Amino acid sequence: MVNGYTASSLKEALTILAETNAVPYAGGTDLMLENRPGVKYLFLKKIPELRSITADERYIRIGAAVTFTEALASPLVPPLMKEAVSHIAAPAIRNAGTFGGNIGNGSDKADTVVVEFAADAKARIVSKEKERIADIDKVFLSRKHLGLSDGELIAEILLPRKGLERYAYTKVGGRQSQAVSFVSFAGVFGLENGRITNAAAAFGAAGDAVQRYRDIEKSLIGKTPDEAKKVKADYLRAYEERILVNQSRVGPEYQRIVCLNLLNDFLSRFGV
Amino acid sequence: MADIRFVLNGKETEYHGSATERLLDVLRNQYRCTSIKCGCREGECGACAVLIDGILHNSCCVAAGAVDGSSVVTLEGYRETARFAALEKAFAAVSAVQCGFCTPGMILAAEALLSKNPHPSEDEIREGLSGNFCRCTGYNAIVNAVSGAAKEGNGLW
Ligand SMILES: Cc1cc2nc3c(=O)[nH]c(=O)nc-3n(C[C@H](O)[C@H](O)[C@H](O)COP(=O)(O)OP(=O)(O)OC[C@H]3O[C@@H](n4cnc5c(N)ncnc54)[C@H](O)[C@@H]3O)c2cc1C
Ligand code: FES
Ligand code: FES
Repeated sequence: MVNGYTASSLKEALTILAETNAVPYAGGTDLMLENRPGVKYLFLKKIPELRSITADERYIRIGAAVTFTEALASPLVPPLMKEAVSHIAAPAIRNAGTFGGNIGNGSDKADTVVVEFAADAKARIVSKEKERIADIDKVFLSRKHLGLSDGELIAEILLPRKGLERYAYTKVGGRQSQAVSFVSFAGVFGLENGRITNAAAAFGAAGDAVQRYRDIEKSLIGKTPDEAKKVKADYLRAYEERILVNQSRVGPEYQRIVCLNLLNDFLSRFGV
Repeated sequence: MADIRFVLNGKETEYHGSATERLLDVLRNQYRCTSIKCGCREGECGACAVLIDGILHNSCCVAAGAVDGSSVVTLEGYRETARFAALEKAFAAVSAVQCGFCTPGMILAAEALLSKNPHPSEDEIREGLSGNFCRCTGYNAIVNAVSGAAKEGNGLW
């Protein structure tokens, strides 16, 4: 094939990646818009190892070349992820776009990545020589900066099986379909024996990176919702000071207010 | 070097050009499938829609090499089917075509929807067509047409 490689197994793909400068191509919905001159693509969609959704004791494992449409149809994919995916673009893009491509594109507007941050997801990264599991924030660093070396591919996204039941997800965009986010928010709440065990809050599209502030989250951990209510004003103020916003079309102040409103709604939903 | 082998509208074919070319351009320029329109080249408008292995894709966002081993259907092939006849009749009945630029994409999006969901609600039709822009009709006629095709073409999907 002129300017392209196909592989029928992951092993074959990793060998091609190690020996050539081919660019991994999954659904093409970002790559074809970039239309980089002089590239060769390594087509991933027909590699069975990248195409399945499975579950083990701890994780739901979503293959990097699984499409958004396939994830929506899978009973294994948690509702939080499905909610984010259902808001992505329109059917034809969801039929093509993949989880690996959403990370690989390196956009802070990537809707599944925001969920992965809130969910403490991991990625299984493979290369010809080795494989490793990395936390999502070590793979997706900031806009166009990924923690991947040459020859490495994302093979799977690992979402925790437990703890994602209480969640909030909101995408604020310009219109219903085909909207790229102005702000996206994913929150995961945990409560055990009346005490807060998790208050993960991730923001996309506002700064250059997906933002999560674990030190501020900690101020709620171990408290009852009533106790947490008493420190909520300080908690929101801390976010107000820390949240990074950008010069998007909607303006930084609007973005900041939306972020804080979404955070407030998230906590209120769980009695805080 | 092996070529890109795929089935286009039921016929096996080999493409010798670059795997990085847009499927949209290859199908229009090389194969003269001019039902496929180029509205935006950004995946936004759906005018370039095709079915790849039965699944709706915007061909401006697909590299030619990605269809190696796949079956591609454009309106040129789809128009030979009884399903197309039902959709054509339904579109004509409610004047769901004005300039016609969006129509091939709309028809293929309708086929993709009805093949998964033969009796969609109005909301489901709107969602199924949400990636296809029409600048003439205001959409209601198209939604009615798809709904009409689902009813009249009962059993086809
Ligand atoms: C009209 C339109 C609307 C969109 N709307 C949204 C939206 O609402 N939300 C959203 O999040 N995105 C949106 N997108 C962006 C895009 O669809 C997503 O980012 C999608 O997940 C990209 O996946 P892909 O498989 O198409 O990626 P590709 O274009 O194939 O690849 C993207 C990048 O990832 C790399 N890559 C792919 N797979 C791997 C892998 N396994 N390992 C390492 N690197 C890899 C590629 O080399 C490339 O750099 C939209 C795009 C379009 C065209
Ligand atoms: S030309 Fe492909 S979606 Fe508009
Ligand atoms: S009929 Fe003209 S764009 Fe739809």
